[in-house]
Order: sequence, then C-alpha cells, then structure tokens
Amino acid sequence: MAASKTPLYEASTQFKNWRYSAQSLAKVRSSLNAAAVSVIRNTFELDEPGSSSAVSFLAPDEELLLVRLYVSKIPQLCGFFRFPEEVEATAVSYLKRFYLKNTVMDWHPKNVMLTALFLATKTTNNPISLEAYTNNIPKTSPSDVLDLEFLVAQSLGFEFAVWHAHRALWGIWLDLQTVPNAPPDRATSQSEVYDTALRYVRASRLSDAELIYTPSQIALASLSMASPELATEWAESKFPSGSQGLSALQATVAAIRTLIAAAEQPVDVESVRGVDLRLKLCKNPEKVVGSKAYLAKKAEEERKAEEKRTRKVIEVEKAMAEGDPFGDELAGRLDDDDDDD
Amino acid sequence: MDAVEKANTERQKRWVKDQKVGEGTYAVVYRGREASTNRKVAIKKIKVGQFKDGLDMSAIREVKYLRELKHQNLLDVFSSKTNLNLVLEFLDSDLEMIIKDRSLVFLPADIKSWMAMTFRGLEFCHRNWILHRDLKPNNLLIASDGQLKIADFGLARDFADPGYKMTCQVITRWYRPPELLFGSRYYSTAVDVWSVGCIFAELMLRTPYLAGESDMDQLKTIFRALGTPTEADWPGHTKLPDYVPIGQFPKTPLRDLFTAASADTLNLLSQCLIYEPRKRISAKDGLNHAYFFALPYPSHPSKLPKCAAQLTAALPLEELDGNTLSGKTNRLKRKLSSPDDAKTRSSVARRLDFTKQTPGS
Repeated sequence: MAASKTPLYEASTQFKNWRYSAQSLAKVRSSLNAAAVSVIRNTFELDEPGSSSAVSFLAPDEELLLVRLYVSKIPQLCGFFRFPEEVEATAVSYLKRFYLKNTVMDWHPKNVMLTALFLATKTTNNPISLEAYTNNIPKTSPSDVLDLEFLVAQSLGFEFAVWHAHRALWGIWLDLQTVPNAPPDRATSQSEVYDTALRYVRASRLSDAELIYTPSQIALASLSMASPELATEWAESKFPSGSQGLSALQATVAAIRTLIAAAEQPVDVESVRGVDLRLKLCKNPEKVVGSKAYLAKKAEEERKAEEKRTRKVIEVEKAMAEGDPFGDELAGRLDDDDDDD
Repeated sequence: MDAVEKANTERQKRWVKDQKVGEGTYAVVYRGREASTNRKVAIKKIKVGQFKDGLDMSAIREVKYLRELKHQNLLDVFSSKTNLNLVLEFLDSDLEMIIKDRSLVFLPADIKSWMAMTFRGLEFCHRNWILHRDLKPNNLLIASDGQLKIADFGLARDFADPGYKMTCQVITRWYRPPELLFGSRYYSTAVDVWSVGCIFAELMLRTPYLAGESDMDQLKTIFRALGTPTEADWPGHTKLPDYVPIGQFPKTPLRDLFTAASADTLNLLSQCLIYEPRKRISAKDGLNHAYFFALPYPSHPSKLPKCAAQLTAALPLEELDGNTLSGKTNRLKRKLSSPDDAKTRSSVARRLDFTKQTPGS
C-alpha cells in the first residue's frame, strides 16, 4: 500500500498548509500588515480626507507582540477552567494561525483569543457550554465569542486538527524507556527530566517554532535543554552516530533552542500597552461599532438584504397570484434559502 | 474585503448548487456541480448561527476528520457568508439501499468485494487514529463506479492514549458492540469492527442481523444469537458500569443461520463478533484474513449489483424532506437511540441521504 509509506504527519493539513520558513513568516506578516494599512488608510480618507496622515499604524513586529501577549493569556485561562493540555496547545496554534491570515488592526486579539480557545474545546472533544465559559470570564458576553467563531474557523481553513510537541515529547519519553540499556526505573528515577522538558515545550508555544519545525523536532530540542545526554541517547537510537541525518538534526535542534530561549523572556507589558493604545487609533473603522465607516458598511449590507427581501416578496406574490403558493420549480428558487441564516 | 473572505469567494465560485435534496438538524444537502467541468457533487451546507453553543459538534467532527483524511470522499470545503459548505463527491446510493433492493441477487464474490472495501476504508481510519463510531450500511456510500466509501464522520473521534474516557452513547444500536451496551467508557477500534461484523452478516441475510428494539433488548438479541458470554469468554465484563445479567442463552453455531457460507466466511464473521474486544480481529488483520484470498475472488467494483435507485432521478423535494419518509418503522429504528444524541446526530445522516426512496416503495 503506497499510503502506508507516507508518514502520518506528512498527510496532515499541518504539514501541508501551516509550515513556513522564518523568512516566509516574516513576508506573510509584512504583506498582511501593508495590505491592512492601505485599506484602513483608504477608509479613513473616505471618512474624512487628510485624516490618515496623523495616524501611526502598527508595524508587523508590533502586531506580533500583541498576539504574543494574548497567546500567553491562554495558559492562565486554561488553568482556571482546568482544560487539558491539548485544549491549551490547540488554542495557541489557532490564535497564531489566525494572525497569519488576518491583522490585529481588523480583529483585536482579545476576542479572537477567547473564540480560539472556545473553538479548541470543541475541536478536541472537551466541549463546555458557552454560558459556563463566558460567565467565568469578566466582561465577556456570549456574542463576543460567537460573533467571531465562524471567522476564526474560516481563517483556519476549517483545518482543526493540530499535531502537538507535547505529544511528541511523550512519545520520545516512552521511547527512552525502551532503548537498549535503558535503566529499568528510568520513568521514575529521571522523571524530572521529562517535567523540565515539558516546561520548555510550553515555553516554545510563545515562539514561532511550531510554524517552522515539526512537533518532534521541538520536543527533541526541549528534551535537549532539559538533558542533553538523554536527547543524544534518543537521537543516536534513531540515527547512526556520525551520520548526516544526525548532524542535520543537531543543527535544527540548536535553532529551536534559540527560539525557545527567546520565548522564555517575559513579554514587556509596558511596550505592549503602548502598542494597544495606538491600536485604538489605527484599527479599521469599518470594524468599530458606531463609526461613520461602520455605519456606511452596515447601511450597504442592509440595502442589499432589503433588495433581496423585496425580490422574494414579489416572487411569492407572483406565485400566489398563479395559485400555487409553493411555486412549481424548485431549482430556480434555490438562491433564496442559501443565505438566510 | 478581507483576504480570507476573498479566497473564499474564489473557491465558492467553483461550485454551483442545483437542487435541495435533503435536510437534517445541522445541515441541508444540495445536489450541485463543479462550474467548469459539470462534474456532479453533493453540497452539504452546515447550518450555523442557530445553536446556542456555536458551531455544532457533529459538524466540527465531520469537517475536522474529512480535512485530515484526504478521503476521496471530500473534494473541497468552502464557506458562503455565514455558512459552511462541504463539497462532497456525489454518490447515488448506499449499501442499505442495495441490501433492501429485493430484485438484486448477491454472489459471495460481491459480498467479499464490499467487505474488502469496508475493511480497507476502516483500516485507513484506524491507522490514522480515528474511530468512526457510526458504521452501518447506510453510511457506506456507493459511487456510480461501484466503489464503496465510508461516510458520515459526525460521531468520529481520535484516540491515542489508553485510559482516556469516551462516551458510550455512540454507534447506531443494531451495530453497537456489547461493551458499549454495558456502558464501557474505555474502548478501542474494536467497536468499529463489531459494526463491520454486523454489516457482513446483514449482507448475507439481507436483513439486519441483530435488530434489538431497545438498548436492553439489543443485548438480549446479541446473546440469543451468539450465546451469553461466560467469564472465560470475556473476562471482567460483569464489572462494566451498566452490566446487568440478561439471562442464559446457549451458543448456537453460526453455521445454523448462515447455511450457505464458506468456512472462511464464518471464521472472519465470528472473529468480528468476538465478545472480548481485545481478541476481536483488527481491521488490518481482517484485510489479511484467508477469506479475502480464497476463491471466489472479490467482484470488481464495476461488476457489483446496482440498485434501481442509482439509475433514476431523485424524488421531488416534498418527499425527500422531513419526517415523511422516516415514518417507516424500519428506518426509525436504525437511528441512534441514546437520549442526547438521537436528536442531533445519527438521525442527521439518515435525513441527509441524497436519494431517499426505498426500493420497492
């Protein structure tokens, strides 16, 4: 069977659609940022000519800083709700992936984070009711979560399955108990190595590592930070010592360690606060309830809906006049119920 | 327009909806086609915005697994406005329709072919760490070239570590294994294999093999057919959460009921229906069973019996819609009967059939 020769991971949407190089990540982010700035600048100008020149838009790395802050809030919330690790890791991935398709100037990460987490409880089979969820989060209503749910799901391309480094670490840990000459009591006598490595895996979630490297590479790097000896022991059980594969792996591991070490530095809340303040002034007015641009967009949508309703009424009246309230042709009326919800 | 919306509109333009062919709790199904090629597709529009907890769990499960599995079943996913649309291969019939079509005669080679395709699909799911949890003849769809495809991942979930608690309210009753009926919250791929065993028997009998009328009656029906398990047959089963003594029924040889079946056939069947889940055959071993290597070889999919419904056009909407058709007692009973699932899940699949007519009706 040909299919069995492809590693499972390589058949995943994560492998196919969510892998980047550090350079391509930077490029995605800067072009998203540039596109958003030009759209928003335009909207400002339409609203009030000349108004955009005074606005200081966010730079790509400032957007990233804000996203990182909200990524770091997810573990706190998960601890409060006692969600399993899988929920936490999945929500983090969703939030990061969302901002590879959207900009914080359109959608503020606070609500996106809450939505991503709620969605992650469902996609990992740990659902809780929306009420129980929002009741326990201050200043949050069900609509804050639900309004964005579809947008988030759509931005993820409905690719809900995520492969996680903490699972890979568990796999390596199981492997380490069965490699030749493993001490029989390794699972207990060296368990603090596993715990430490897990802490590094958790730190890696604040970095871009998962968008660049595979879960098992991140797991191995985390293990090597906890115990270089055990990491080497495992790697040499998979690759012959001195082989090309092994040295390539060591280079990858070193690169990931740098990312994790950087991610361990706490987010500077003061500088994020500055970014957030500026965001209040430069976010897309079409998405700010009450602004002129917002009202204009709503009015346009309402006009289109009204047009559609009128057309429907005319059709129904016509059908009634012809004596058959249900019409006679089904196919022709398909469009009507296509977007009524 | 946002980039995400833009990309979406592009994808959406590829597909055209032609006609509504069915409606369920969480989705509406349309017959449609690819605009550029006129290839026939089914479009399943998932309803959103009307459930108080947001996107429905069944919809999420289905999308999640279909996206990952790259099953030949799923061509594309796009969304329109606030709706999620799944574009699926258009499949005219399912195994249930074929089984019920009395005008068709099944050769042993035909049954072997359907079983081989079912095991192959199931092995793929299990290899990908996914439990289907709702296998039954009408979730095995048949393409016009005769290929069988496992459908409806609305109850599927992934599994990895042993000792992870799962719900036992899954799998339509007649195809549900005894460990789930006894309330086991820890189970394995063996649950799907039991369902396949029931389908195997049904293909030979042309009527559901273990058709219980309630969950309790289901166990009785199983034991009446296969004998009450002893502690030696199935160690520990009396300790399961919902265990109740059902009564003593003797083991009757399968041979008594399946008079025309070969020894290999009965051996594979009996291995799918072993009480002890850990001893039940795996999908992979099932594929390697002597049954599939013995004469007669499986029929080529294109040579398999096709039911009349595959050739006729779908019924008009009013007959396809709602409960009018599920009034048939037979159909109702096949629905999943557990209290919280019945209203949203398994019933959905039944109503989403593209062709709802029953042969001979």
